[in-house]
Amino acid sequence: MNANPFTLEMLDVWKRPEPPKQQVETGFFTDTTLCIGCKACEVACKQWNQLPGDGFHWTGNSYDNTSALSATTWRHVAFVEQMDGTGGHVPRWLMMSDVCKHCVQAPCQEACPTGSLIYNEFGNVYVQQDICNGCAYCVVACPFGVLDRNHQDGKAHKCTLCYDRQKDGMTPACAKSCPTASIQFGPVEELRERARKRVEELQARGETDAYLYGAEATEEYSALNSFFLLKDKPTVYNLPEAPKRPVDNLKTNYLVSFATAVGLTVLSALCFSRGKK
Amino acid sequence: MTPAVEGYYNLPMLKRPLWGWEIALYFFSEGISSGTFILATLADVCGSGRYAALISQAHAVAFVSLLPCPPLLIADLGRPERFHHMLRTFKISSPMSVGAWALLGFSAPVTLLALTRFRWFRWIPAKAVGLAGMPFALFMLGYPGVLLSTTSIPVWSQSRWLGALLTASSMACGASALAIATALHPAGKAPAREAIHRIEGLVNVAEAAVLAGYVYTAGPAAHPLTKGRQSKLFLFGAVVAGLALPALITATRKKPGRSSTILSGALSLAGALALKWSIVHAGRESADDAAGTRAVTRATPTNRGWRQPEAARS
Repeated sequence: MNANPFTLEMLDVWKRPEPPKQQVETGFFTDTTLCIGCKACEVACKQWNQLPGDGFHWTGNSYDNTSALSATTWRHVAFVEQMDGTGGHVPRWLMMSDVCKHCVQAPCQEACPTGSLIYNEFGNVYVQQDICNGCAYCVVACPFGVLDRNHQDGKAHKCTLCYDRQKDGMTPACAKSCPTASIQFGPVEELRERARKRVEELQARGETDAYLYGAEATEEYSALNSFFLLKDKPTVYNLPEAPKRPVDNLKTNYLVSFATAVGLTVLSALCFSRGKK
Repeated sequence: MTPAVEGYYNLPMLKRPLWGWEIALYFFSEGISSGTFILATLADVCGSGRYAALISQAHAVAFVSLLPCPPLLIADLGRPERFHHMLRTFKISSPMSVGAWALLGFSAPVTLLALTRFRWFRWIPAKAVGLAGMPFALFMLGYPGVLLSTTSIPVWSQSRWLGALLTASSMACGASALAIATALHPAGKAPAREAIHRIEGLVNVAEAAVLAGYVYTAGPAAHPLTKGRQSKLFLFGAVVAGLALPALITATRKKPGRSSTILSGALSLAGALALKWSIVHAGRESADDAAGTRAVTRATPTNRGWRQPEAARS
């Protein structure tokens, strides 16, 4: 049979295109000891990704007028003033540029019913905007409160780790604009090694409170491809100390629900068959 | 100014759930549909022909209550015109994905059985279709709680009993809807009324038990329901109107009369709606509760998390 070009073209729609070739996994290492709170990352991110402004709000929370990551803010600089010496350390400022954690096993990806959320060829967690239908399941799945749905276009948005820039071999906008190398981008294994050395170096200098958040997996949560060097407890930066993976409870949840459903069904069946004459 | 030692200006750690009235009504409606479908099939299989009128009514109720489900789900989406993207993949890790397929699968037997009341469709083997639809119906009965529990929102995810609670509530909805239907039907037969009355009582007892289990095991994570903005609806709607009053009515009446059956059934249905409404909406307050989120994500000996080295904190 001789298929005409039009038929072939129609069939083409159903063919999956070749997926992009797997690349070395990349990520962010955000070293908060180097952050000076300039918010260049916030601005560069907004500019490159053409994200709208979030309005003009004074929060009164130090220099933080952004408050949190959102569908239109993918980098957020947190400011903590510890000037009265509580907690047993010298008066100090803590500043941290927060971002999507790009979890190795991401709850948002596991929750997404449409397959919009994927791991791309760089191992980054990515929302495919042409697929997302705004069901908002990822919003409640994320244990870090990163994902949100934009009320204007109705879709979920978060840091893409500058997928478009990476495709062209460029550094993500925030890392590129960071003047102190607080945000470092690169192959994630290299970053983890560099981060470990940095902690050792700080510890040797007497900064015993420095540690890595997310560089390795915990008992219940995967490692983060976008991890942090912190100087105080995670909760001080509004990060969960020991996040949990929602899917860990999936089997138990199904089991309990269906055991109840089957149990009530059997009870009802007994009621219906009773009193047979 | 130094902020409190714990937390970051007490700002929420989580994002607010965006689900609202559409999802609450969906859980209510699909609960009635799956509950009545299961009861109809059981009556058909176990009843040896005694419940014909009840079964026919149940099929109608299951169909009518399923009708608003797809529009409600679609209305809830950020991009309603992309609803069919739910069916471009099947993901076992996502209860929403499995649920979308189950809803599709469930709608077929419900529609077929609703058609059997018309003469042209008498050839449809009702018993076989009912049995084939049972796995879908049981999934529809049980999955809403699983969907809410498999998240990071404390009020939904802390207790393993939420699924059982919503399942029991849906079954109660089915029984109450049928109790009302048989009471209203002029040809409502005594065996059907008695059986449904018994089922209603048993399911309500089971629901009360799992509700207590949920509140107890969720601990402080249940505060948005027991003390927060939803507490009035939860306590007076779900507990008092939905469980206590119907039990009282049943206890004070020796024989279930027509009006008391309708009243207790309606109260039970209203209670189920209050329960699902308050649980869905409590997610917002739970996400906003920064201290509550910190409490449930605190490091434990078995889940040490990413804690600061001990030496630094001495």
